[in-house]
Amino acid sequence: MIEIKNLHKSYKMGSNSLHVLKGIDFSVEEGELVAIMGSSGSGKSTLLNILGMLDELDEGSYDLDGVPIKNLNETKAANYRNKFLGFVFQSFNLINYKNAMENVALPLYYQKMVRKERQEKALKYLDQVGLKEWATHLPSELSGGQKQRVAIARAMVGEPKVLLADEPTGALDSKTSYEVMDLIQKINDKGNTILIVTHESDIADMCKRIVHLKDGVILEDKKVEQVRASEYV
Amino acid sequence: MFDRDIWQEIFFSIRNNKLRTFLTGFSVGWGIFILVMLLASVNGMKNGFTNQFGNDAANSISLFARSTTEPYAGFEAGRKIQFKNSEVDYIRGNFQGFYEYISQTVNRSISARYKQETGSYNVIGVNAEFQKIEVTDIEEGRQLNELDVKNKSKVMVLGRLVVKDLFKEENPIGKFLEVNGSTFKVIGVFSDDDDDRAERSIYAPYTTLQRLYGNTSNINSIRMTYNPNFSLAQALDFSDKVEYVFKRKLKISPEDQSAIRVRNNADGFSDLNEFTGLLNTMSIGVGILILIAGIVGIGNILVFIIKERTKEIGIRKALGARPSQILKLVLLESVFITSISGFIGMLIAMGILGIIGPLINAPAFSNPSVDISIVITATLVLIISGLVAGWVPARRAAKVRPIVALSSD
Ligand SMILES: Nc1ncnc2c1ncn2[C@@H]1O[C@H](COP(=O)(O)OP(=O)(O)OP(=O)(O)O)[C@@H](O)[C@H]1O
Ligand SMILES: [Mg+2]
Repeated sequence: MIEIKNLHKSYKMGSNSLHVLKGIDFSVEEGELVAIMGSSGSGKSTLLNILGMLDELDEGSYDLDGVPIKNLNETKAANYRNKFLGFVFQSFNLINYKNAMENVALPLYYQKMVRKERQEKALKYLDQVGLKEWATHLPSELSGGQKQRVAIARAMVGEPKVLLADEPTGALDSKTSYEVMDLIQKINDKGNTILIVTHESDIADMCKRIVHLKDGVILEDKKVEQVRASEYV
Repeated sequence: MFDRDIWQEIFFSIRNNKLRTFLTGFSVGWGIFILVMLLASVNGMKNGFTNQFGNDAANSISLFARSTTEPYAGFEAGRKIQFKNSEVDYIRGNFQGFYEYISQTVNRSISARYKQETGSYNVIGVNAEFQKIEVTDIEEGRQLNELDVKNKSKVMVLGRLVVKDLFKEENPIGKFLEVNGSTFKVIGVFSDDDDDRAERSIYAPYTTLQRLYGNTSNINSIRMTYNPNFSLAQALDFSDKVEYVFKRKLKISPEDQSAIRVRNNADGFSDLNEFTGLLNTMSIGVGILILIAGIVGIGNILVFIIKERTKEIGIRKALGARPSQILKLVLLESVFITSISGFIGMLIAMGILGIIGPLINAPAFSNPSVDISIVITATLVLIISGLVAGWVPARRAAKVRPIVALSSD
């Protein structure tokens, strides 16, 4: 599903350049649930952003579902993001003047689905994250955990090949964190490929594979016995 | 375009920037307001000019014969030129379709008496078509008709003031008037828009006057209206042609500028059109300069709004929004603000014109108003303004890289 070879990325800051990712080789099969760990500044978000086509790589190659991701124009990149990728952010990133259902329906809007169909599908996904009754509520009327579940519904509604989540539980207490992880595990159970950035080891343990980054290189990459979040909720 | 989501977003952004939207919308509305007022004023001047014709035909042409000023064809300068009935017949015969109505006039000063009252008046001998050229309203009785002209009847249509002088309170219709020793029957009374000079004159068949006074076919002038479908250029061309053939017919030098005097209203109109055209252009220029200020203002506010919404644009891009969709969103918002505020400006201007327009009726300025072409032009200008104003911020928004947008707050 994801195939990365010799990935390099630096940020230019004035005359200096900060070498963040220093040659990463990494691949993910369909249906995996991968945690990316590492200390702050190790380049986790940078890696995830490149995987999500929000940022561009400097060197190396990246194939997503067999499609080489390189030198795409913005329109093409938008199409791939829309079709292949779903994002979940630490700060939820819901649009504050749209209600839960409208937020979830937004990727479908960009797929040019008709309004009625969009709403039906958005409601279905809201139902799956247990928030059907909250469909008409604005993000400001939702708790953090609810917001993140809306964000997950929004990420999944377009039926992406890969779900990318940058610290999805970073802003949540441990109980709601486990609820969110339970949801993510259930989505993974259906065969979806998911990558999660986290620096909490209990969250990482709920994945099937843990990748450790340190100073821009992979320190460790191991399969783990998955802890089911449902045991804690 | 008729996408509910886009409109929801536009309204949200306006609601969140009420003051800024108002201020910039105001500048565009003001620009359109001034533009419409200026154009309406130019229209007012034009109307004022047109009104000076009263209800007489605006497409009239008059021809008068004078004396030559150039020697020609063996004649010396200073020869008096005399139009005759044959000149009118010539136009009738050779300019079918060019003229609409035509009449000769035969002018006589007369003294008229009814019972004890006498007075001196101008009698104008005309044919039945003349009333279409110089329009008068019949107050009592009737106008001259073709039979009167054919039979050289001794009948008269009196101006309102003539009746007032001679008949006092009496009804003049059917009464007989003594004119220079002959007797004329009064068949009608006319009035003419408070034009005292006209109302102190008398109409009679030209044939009657020609028979009574020297039994000639001499006439004083030729009056006609040109084909109302003619353009000004065609109308001027027509009178030039008539002048040309008359000069040949009456053996007048082609260079002689004063032997035949032609008065064509189209002349005045074409000058007027040129003048108001110039004013129109100037008004549009001024209006557009003011509009540009509005456009810059709107561009400015949109840059601001977009800066505030950078993060949101980043989220949208992460969800798969194409640059063209972001572009469309911003442009539509810009066109919406400019159009709405412009229309408000236009409506206010039209409201003011609707109230005060009919009250203004000075000789040179009357009923300033806007016609549909101004409204359409202004609308197009507004939509284009909106597109221009939105272009820079829209491009900027469409181009912003998602990672940069997402990390801004
Ligand atoms: N847009 C940018 N411009 C310049 N430097 C950047 C940019 N984004 C990240 N960096 C730098 O790159 C390095 C890696 O950043 P990154 O966000 O990938 O770290 P991270 O592992 O996600 O850390 P954290 O756990 O704190 O989120 C950091 O030193 C950061 O300061
Ligand atoms: Mg990070």
